[in-house]
Amino acid sequence: MKRGKLSAKIVITLVVVWLLIPLAATIVYSLFEDWTGIVPHGFTLANYKAIFTNPQFLTAMYQTVLICIIPILITIAVVLLALFVVTVYFPRLEKYVQILCMIPYTIQGVILSVSILILYARNKSFLSGRMVMLIGAYCIIILPHIYNGIRNAMRAINMKMLLEAAEMLGESKISAFFKVIVPNIITGITVSSLLAVGLLFGDYVIIRNLSSSNVTNMQVFLYQTMKRSSTESSAVFVVIMLVTFAITAVVLTMQSRSTMEKIRNEGK
Amino acid sequence: METLTKKRALSNRNSKYFYLLALIPFLAVVLMYEILPLIMLVIDSFHLDKKPDILFSLDNYKKIFTTLSYKKAILNSLKITAISTAFGIVIAFLGARAAHTTRGKFRSVFLTVLNMTSNFAGVPLAFAYMILLGNAGVLRQIADVYGIGFIQNFDLYTSTGLTLMYIYFQIPLSTLLLIPAFNGIRKEWGEANMLLGGTNGMFWRKVGVPVLLPSIFSTISVLFANALCAYATAYALLMNNFSLLPVNISACFVGDIKTKPMLGAALSVVMMLIMCIVILINNFITKKVTKWEGVSK
Amino acid sequence: MAYIRFEQINKKFGTNHVLKDIDLTVEKGQLVTLLGPSGCGKSTLLRCLAGLEQVTSGHIFLDGEEITEVVPRQRGIGMVFQQYSLFPNMNVRENVAYGLKLKKLPKKEIEEKVEHMLGVVGLSDKIGHYPSQLSGGQQQRVALARAMVTAPKVLLLDEPLSAIDALLRKQLQIEIRRIQQQLGITTIFVTHDQDEAMVMSDMIHLFHDGRIEQSGTPEQIYTQPATKFAATFIGNYNLPACADFNEAFGTALPYQDLAIRPEIVRLSKDLAADREGLHTAEGIVTGHISHGSLIRYEVTIGKLHLNADVVFGKHISFTEGDKVVVSVPAELIVGL
Repeated sequence: MKRGKLSAKIVITLVVVWLLIPLAATIVYSLFEDWTGIVPHGFTLANYKAIFTNPQFLTAMYQTVLICIIPILITIAVVLLALFVVTVYFPRLEKYVQILCMIPYTIQGVILSVSILILYARNKSFLSGRMVMLIGAYCIIILPHIYNGIRNAMRAINMKMLLEAAEMLGESKISAFFKVIVPNIITGITVSSLLAVGLLFGDYVIIRNLSSSNVTNMQVFLYQTMKRSSTESSAVFVVIMLVTFAITAVVLTMQSRSTMEKIRNEGK
Repeated sequence: METLTKKRALSNRNSKYFYLLALIPFLAVVLMYEILPLIMLVIDSFHLDKKPDILFSLDNYKKIFTTLSYKKAILNSLKITAISTAFGIVIAFLGARAAHTTRGKFRSVFLTVLNMTSNFAGVPLAFAYMILLGNAGVLRQIADVYGIGFIQNFDLYTSTGLTLMYIYFQIPLSTLLLIPAFNGIRKEWGEANMLLGGTNGMFWRKVGVPVLLPSIFSTISVLFANALCAYATAYALLMNNFSLLPVNISACFVGDIKTKPMLGAALSVVMMLIMCIVILINNFITKKVTKWEGVSK
Repeated sequence: MAYIRFEQINKKFGTNHVLKDIDLTVEKGQLVTLLGPSGCGKSTLLRCLAGLEQVTSGHIFLDGEEITEVVPRQRGIGMVFQQYSLFPNMNVRENVAYGLKLKKLPKKEIEEKVEHMLGVVGLSDKIGHYPSQLSGGQQQRVALARAMVTAPKVLLLDEPLSAIDALLRKQLQIEIRRIQQQLGITTIFVTHDQDEAMVMSDMIHLFHDGRIEQSGTPEQIYTQPATKFAATFIGNYNLPACADFNEAFGTALPYQDLAIRPEIVRLSKDLAADREGLHTAEGIVTGHISHGSLIRYEVTIGKLHLNADVVFGKHISFTEGDKVVVSVPAELIVGL
C-alpha cells in the first residue's frame, strides 16, 4: 500500500516537471538579457516594456478581446433560446439539437475554417466580410462547450419543477425562464463561457485562414514576433500564459465553489 | 363549455408552435456556419480547380491517393497522431491512477497544473520548445556544458521534435479526461483481489483496465481528433515544410502559392473520413469489450 | 489453543486512536460477531486481521502462526464486503473462479468447485449472469461463494447485509448461519444490528469506542449487560437510577444504576397474592405504544418511569391515568 503511494507521487512529480519545464524556461528567458551557458545574465523588464509600448500589440490585444466576446454572447443567446423551447415544449427535438451542437467536436478548426471560406469567399455580400466569417466560425467552434455547460447547469437545477412552481405563482413560461432559470444557471453559463474564451484565445488556424491579416489576435501576433525577436516573443508568450492561467484559475474557483455549495445543500 | 376548452387547447397548441420561432436564431447560425459550409465542402470536393464546368469528378481523390506528397501527408498525420495518442493515453492512465491514489496537496497541485497547461498548445507551445530545445535552446546549451549527447544532437525541427510537442499537449487533456473515470473503481475490488491472492498488477489487468476501457477508448477518440486536426503547433515550428493533412489543407486555400480550393476540399473530406472511421472502430471495440456493461435486468 | 488470537492490538489513524489494547480469541468453527455502533473500531479490527490495515502495535495469530506482518494474499482469509465488491466485468462464474484461477488449479477442478459453491448459496441458475443483472441479495450471495470457494481459514463478513432490505436480510441471516454451520468455517461477522448479532452468533463481542465492552454468548449479553452502554445498545432496557428505584419500591439495592428489561416488568390491577421474589409498587399508566404483538406501557411511580412490555391479546389492557400495580422479579434486575 505504502509503495503504491510512493510510486504515485513519483509519477505525479515527473508529469508536473515535464509540463512545467517549457513554461518555466520561457518565463526565465523573458526576464533576462542573455541566456548562454547555464545561468541567465542581466535581469531586465525591457522585453515587457517593448511589447506594451508597441501599438500593434495593443491592437492585437483589443481585437482578441473583441472577437472573443461577440461570438460567445451570440452563442449563449441562441443556445439558451433553443434549449428553452426544446426542453419545455419539444423534448423530442432535444436529440437533434444535441447532434448539431456536437458536430464541431469532430470537425475542429481547419475543416471548419476552409469550409466557411469555400461557401462565402466567392460571395460578394456582407457575408464574405472577414470579420463576419470569423465570428461565424468562432460561434460554431465554441458551440459544444457552451451547449454542454448550459445543459448540465439546467439538469442540475431540476428546471421542470422550478418552471412549474413559477407558473403556479402566475408567471408565464417565458418570463419564468428568464427570471427563475437563468439566474440559477448563471454560474454554469459563466464557467462555460470562460472555457470558450480560453479556447478562442488559443486559436490560430481559424483566424489565419479566415482573416488574412485584417484582424490579428495574440497568437498571430506571437507568430509574427517570433520571426523578429525571440526575447520579445517570450514576453508575449508570458502575457498569453498569464491570461490563460487567470481564466483557468477563475474557472477552477467557480467550479469548486459551486461543488462546495452542492455538497452543502445536499448535506441539508 | 366544451367548445371553450377545445378552443383553449387549440390556442395552447398553437402558442406551443409559436415558440418554435425561438429556434430560428440557433438554426440560422448552425445552418450558415456549420451545415451549409460542410455540404458545400463535400460538393466542391467533386469539382475540379482547373475545369470549373465539370460538375462531378473523382479526379481530386484520385490525385490525393496517387500523388506522393499527399500520400505522405496522410501517412505523416496518421503516424504522428497515433504515436502521440499512444503516449498520451499511457501517461494519462499512469497519471490518473496516481491522482486516484493520492490525496491532499500533491493531488491538488497536480490537478491545477493539468488544468493550467490544458490550453497550452499551438504557437506558444512551439515557441517554448524552440526556447528550450531549438538550435540555441536553453537545454541544448546546458547539455553542451555537461556533454549530454542525446540532447546535444536532438533536432527539434523534425517529425521527432514535432511528436514530442504533440505528446506534450495530449497529456493534460487525456489525464483530465481519465481522472473522473477512476472514481468508478471501487476500493473493495482491489481488496477482494488482494485477499483472493491477486497482485496489484493482476488487479489492473483483470479488473481495473477492463472496467476503465470505455473511458479509455472515448479518451483515445478525443486525443486522435485533437492530434489529427492540430495545425498551429506544426505550422509554427515547420511552416509548410513538413507535410501534414491540416497543413496541406490550409495551404490549398491560403498562402503564397496558387490556391487549389477544390483539392483542399477533397483533402478535408479525406480527413473527416479518417475521423469517422476511427470513431466507428472505437465504438465497435468499446461495444465488444464492454458487453457486461450493456446487460441489465 | 485458540484458533485466532488478537494480542494487545492498538491502531491509530493519525491522532485518532481507534483500537485500544484489544485482546480477543476465536475458537475454530465458531461464528463470532463484533457488534457495536459505527466508528467503534469493529471493522478496523476485521481489516487488521485481513491485512488490509496494519496494526500500530500488537500481535495477531491465526492457526498457531503469527500473521501480523504477513501480506493479505498469503493469510488465507476470505472476506465479504458491505456491497459492490463483485468485479463488474466478470460474470458470476468468473467472479467465483477468480481466486481458484490465481491458485492455478486445474480447469476441471475449478469448474466443479464453482458449481458446488453456487449450489451451496443457491444460485446455480445465475452462473452466466453479470453482477448488474443480480439483485443486492444475490450479489452478496455470490460474494459469499467467491470468498468461501478457496476454502479460507477464516471468513470475514463486514456488514454484508446492511444494504439489503429488511425482509430479505432476515432470510439471508439464517441462510448464512446455515451455510457456516454446514461447512464448519470459522467466521467473524461485523454488524451494528443487535438483532442480527443475536440470531447468528456463537459469541458476541460488544465494541465501544475502540474497546471491547463485553463478551459473551447472545443469551449472556442479552440478559446480563455488564455496563450501561451494553444495556443501552442491546434491547430496550429500562435504565433507572438506583436511588429512584429504591425510593419507589422501598428497596435498598446497593448500585449506581439498574438495568431492567421491559418484558420482566409486570402490570396488574390488584396486588397478587403470591409476591415471593417480587418488588412491587403502585404506579400510574402514562402512555402506551403498540408494537404489533406487544404493547409497551409507560408507568410512572413517583420520580421513576418504567416501560413494561405486555403481550397483546391478553385480557388485561390499560389506558392512560389507570392506577396499576407494578411488580419486578428481584433476581432479573441487573445492577450496574
